[in-house]
Amino acid sequence: MSKAVAHADHGHADAQHAHHPALQHHFDTMAQQKEAAVIGMWVFLLTEILFFGGLFVAYMIYRVWYFDAFAEASRSLDLFWGGLNTAVLIFSSLTMALAVRAAQTNKRKATVNWLILTMILGCVFLGVKVVEYADKFEHHHVPGPNYVWAEPGHEAAPGSEHANLSLTPAQLQNTTQIYFSLYFTMTGLHALHMIIGVGLMLVITWMAWKGKFDAEYYTPVEMSGLYWHFVDIVWIFLFPLLYLVERP
Amino acid sequence: MSGHISPVSLYITIFASLMVLTGVTVGAAYVDLGMFNFSVAMLIAGFKASLVVWYFMHVKYQSHLTKLTVATGLFFLAILLGMSLIDYVSRDNFAGTGPGGLPAPVTPEGQMHAPAQAPH
Repeated sequence: MSKAVAHADHGHADAQHAHHPALQHHFDTMAQQKEAAVIGMWVFLLTEILFFGGLFVAYMIYRVWYFDAFAEASRSLDLFWGGLNTAVLIFSSLTMALAVRAAQTNKRKATVNWLILTMILGCVFLGVKVVEYADKFEHHHVPGPNYVWAEPGHEAAPGSEHANLSLTPAQLQNTTQIYFSLYFTMTGLHALHMIIGVGLMLVITWMAWKGKFDAEYYTPVEMSGLYWHFVDIVWIFLFPLLYLVERP
Repeated sequence: MSGHISPVSLYITIFASLMVLTGVTVGAAYVDLGMFNFSVAMLIAGFKASLVVWYFMHVKYQSHLTKLTVATGLFFLAILLGMSLIDYVSRDNFAGTGPGGLPAPVTPEGQMHAPAQAPH
């Protein structure tokens, strides 16, 4: 304690203890400052885990209640787009990890480039989501007054070849809507996190471009990396839960 | 103090593993494992998430305090999921009971794959 006080009092005058400009006065060392940031970020991510956790619980309960409806509705999602988006997001996690690594190794331009690539991949993910959502609107698969699972007399019911189900069309109309409510809430909330992540990265990229980071101080890059990887993990669970309930 | 710097090859390996596991998840979904399809999908997703947390998020190289913080989150998530599901699963005829204890519009589990009641 007394050491810390002495350090704070004389730190700036003492050439041997020359401070990194990014070191805040209430921390002793860069390492201490960084660990505080890492733990703080993880505490934030824990609130995020529980935030999404509530939706996962709702999903689990309704899935057990209305399994056949969930399986039917899940088959109406295009596995190609879902799989592509999973690959895009995993790739963006790699580029994010490489951005942090570039910052750690003092490579300013590489940091900026990896961050830009990560943002582009994030936008590709969101673009695919727009295509998928547009398709849902077109097929009246958006919960609400215009929701239609399958028009009567129309044999265009998605996955109707698996239709020896216990559900009448009227029941499917109601219960698949629950699936799509959860689908839009969960993927929508995830997409919102992606948009925030891209916004966050715009700022970080600008800071990196300005040369604010070096091998001693790259905490903001690492923190946005933690956030980005977290959003990736949420999708790693959403993909099998929403797209792969029961495939033929 | 710049923290642990992982080699690029490690990141590539993790990335490749995540991609392969994504393929395995899709493949496994097309194999009829009955009630185990869900468990397999969640086990793979859990393993993928662990790889991301451990290597991409650098938890492997963090202090015990940070690791404990991460574990705390998983602990509370387990309480949230576990306790909620214990409540619902322990009710009589869970799959056939709709919200508010009313009969669900779906027939009970045992009749899930009975012939359709109406032409579909």
